[in-house]
Amino acid sequence: MTGSTIDHLISLTVFIGALLVFISLFNQTLQTAILYQRQRYLATKCNDLLDNIMLNPGIPSDWGESGNVPIGFGLQDPKFTHYALSPFSLMRLLSFAGNRAYYNGTWYSNVSWGVNGGYLFLSESECVSYDLASKLLGTKGTYGFRLTIMPTVNVTIVEDQSAADHLRLNITVLGQNSPLAGASIKYLLYWISAYIPTFVNFTTGMASTDALGFASLEFHNINVSQNKMAYVFIARVSAGGLYGVGYLARNAVTNAGTIVPYVENSNGTILLVHNPGDSNAALHFNASFYVLSSNFQTSNGGVLNITSGPWLVNYGEGKPSFVLQIQPPNNGGFLVLSYWKEDGGNECGMVVVPWGIGIIGLSIIFGGDSAGQGWVATDIRQVAVRGIAYQARLALWSLESYGMMG
Amino acid sequence: MEFGELWDDGLMMRTIEIVLVIIIVLWAFVTASFFAVLPSPREVSPLNLRRLALTTLEVLNTNYSLSEIVFKPPDDPAWNDLRIALSACLPPNIVYSLTVYEVLTENETELYELRSSVSNAESLGIASDVASYLVASSNVTFFVTPEKIGEHGVGGTLYILNCSDARGWWITGYTAQSLAQDLYNLLSPYFTKTIMVQNTAQLGQILNGTSLEGETLQNAVVINTFGEAVPIPTSYADMYDSDSYAEYFYQLGKRVNQYNWTWVSIVGWPFYYVTNTVKLASSQNTWGIYGMKDVAKKGLTAFLRGLDYLQFPQYTSPSDSQTGNPGLVYLNSTALYYCNYYGIYPSPYQISTRALSNSILTTYHLPNSSVIYIFDKKDNWIPGAVYRHIADGDNNVTGSLFALGLTRTPDIRLTALGILCAFKPRLYRSEYTACNATRLVVLQLGMVGGG
Repeated sequence: MTGSTIDHLISLTVFIGALLVFISLFNQTLQTAILYQRQRYLATKCNDLLDNIMLNPGIPSDWGESGNVPIGFGLQDPKFTHYALSPFSLMRLLSFAGNRAYYNGTWYSNVSWGVNGGYLFLSESECVSYDLASKLLGTKGTYGFRLTIMPTVNVTIVEDQSAADHLRLNITVLGQNSPLAGASIKYLLYWISAYIPTFVNFTTGMASTDALGFASLEFHNINVSQNKMAYVFIARVSAGGLYGVGYLARNAVTNAGTIVPYVENSNGTILLVHNPGDSNAALHFNASFYVLSSNFQTSNGGVLNITSGPWLVNYGEGKPSFVLQIQPPNNGGFLVLSYWKEDGGNECGMVVVPWGIGIIGLSIIFGGDSAGQGWVATDIRQVAVRGIAYQARLALWSLESYGMMG
Repeated sequence: MEFGELWDDGLMMRTIEIVLVIIIVLWAFVTASFFAVLPSPREVSPLNLRRLALTTLEVLNTNYSLSEIVFKPPDDPAWNDLRIALSACLPPNIVYSLTVYEVLTENETELYELRSSVSNAESLGIASDVASYLVASSNVTFFVTPEKIGEHGVGGTLYILNCSDARGWWITGYTAQSLAQDLYNLLSPYFTKTIMVQNTAQLGQILNGTSLEGETLQNAVVINTFGEAVPIPTSYADMYDSDSYAEYFYQLGKRVNQYNWTWVSIVGWPFYYVTNTVKLASSQNTWGIYGMKDVAKKGLTAFLRGLDYLQFPQYTSPSDSQTGNPGLVYLNSTALYYCNYYGIYPSPYQISTRALSNSILTTYHLPNSSVIYIFDKKDNWIPGAVYRHIADGDNNVTGSLFALGLTRTPDIRLTALGILCAFKPRLYRSEYTACNATRLVVLQLGMVGGG
């Protein structure tokens, strides 16, 4: 009788112990399977959401150009039916890329803060926020996302300092995977001399890259010593149907500082703000807006008449800024701003402000931060922005926590 | 008792059974785990290679470069550019194989003949997917040329009433001017001459038989974009104001007969109101719209009597017309055919609340055999049709009425469809299967390494 009791005790103890171990083991397997299902679903959602954004212009369809607040979110160019994005809708996305800019009580979305002489600040009141986009897409509170639109072709333009007496620009064209060998380059060059700064010179030309995707352009008639000249250089490259664009502007800091352009609204109001230098001197400036055609040409008819200056800004003399009004074009374009200090050294600089993402190859990062998220699904599409090849990458994560045991 | 004794006495059987159960369950777990292999992260969150391939082809063809390259011979340097472009635009862990087929047509069967292929890898890695893209040669232009109504005979003029001194009714949400513009865009390619009648004075001019721009007045089509209201020229309002302007509609019917016009009423009860914002400035249509006066049901009868004026030499206070409310109605099979032919696709289901009575066909010499039905008849009501007047003892058409008795708001695509069904202008299409004109590009992407 005692032996039977001991047998019961041992067997029951072992059985309960084994049961707990197996429950734990199977629980792990089940949890992993559930997690797999959730992640799989997240990947499908990411794929759908990316197509939804890329293949839908939003409501109203011209919200990017009109300045209206959209009631349906989408980035497709309303003039097309495939994966072509509107450069203006992209411009109105609140950038996640850099620190916000602040001037005179207004916050500005920072797409490019003078990188290579290119500026794109847009008043945040004009921008579509991540919060609004999430609401319109129906993902608020359930999913977080980050959308990155970046050029497929990376065009790097560097001024060769070894050419002391003239301008030499080295261009390197790289794709995602390899250099763009034998790519044709078409360029636009605007430049001023500090001695006759009111006159903007212009030249255009063609070149091609070598097997390493490299090209060097010489401009023997342009003297680059000190800050006595400035330029804006924009190049479009193409090979086998793949198009990319890059730019470089010489935005030298003069003794009287620089000018920073802020886009106030979608109607074409641009605020030119004096960023003063060491001296309290005034900065004179001229501005020309160029409408860019689809074949990368600016015609006389495309130049808007805002060059009847020169004007000046002087922070210390109560003229900290100047309000410029352009007529936003349907096809996009860019503002070339030249500034100079007339006395004490004849220094000058130039900056470029694109009207629309894709005009000079800027990127945009929009959305939330995936840092700390458990699982992030990603997907990618090749898209065109005004004919320029871009890649759209969407990262998506779930905001609904699902607890894991063990 | 010692454990050994228990064991020897066979009193540990339950423990042995439990151990056996544990072994069996463990074996089951190990076996299940072996077969229930969880997928790799790549499969959990896969890159959509099919979409990537399609969008790559689309981007390469943004400026029609792909369409040019695939028609070049395989030894052309452009193929090398395409290779470079493909490598440059795909992520480093993606390999590709691009194949071009020529689309041939033999005995109404499409055949695909391999023309060229480029790839940057011997195999397509651990996962692959494919997308195809049909491109047309840049040397081929596809276009459709419509036959112009009237180019082989009399007529061919389209008048669209766009009168600035008139108001519309039952065109809710639109203005007559916006409808006129849309109709112009839809129909002007099919007519020899299209004229927007800009005011009621111009309407009076053509009613009096004087052309506006030297156009042919006879056999014209006149579209009234003002819905249930019809613009009335001031001179006609002065002369034909009897019986709440029903007399005007009688005169209008006579003109339609005289010039063999096709009068088009785009929505609702035809000829229910007259409108002229100057002459009728102080009148309102009983719904508060000034510049308009209701003629009511007498208008339609007066018009039909005018159209058939040999039978009815006077309009004499007519009151025998009425409309019906058949509700849901369907596009006629002929109209559906022409939807595809002309590429106009309104909804085939519509609601009719002002359908004309079947009885007008016999009363006013609108023979059933010559009626072009746009919607199927429902009971004794005709929701939408082109009625052609053929007088007794005559074989010629002398005036037509196209009335769409649908409820508001008007869909002017139905108007366009009805007119095209009535006149049937031909479309001359270019050859879509031109030799060497189309190639199929297939891009297969594979994933190597990474996820």
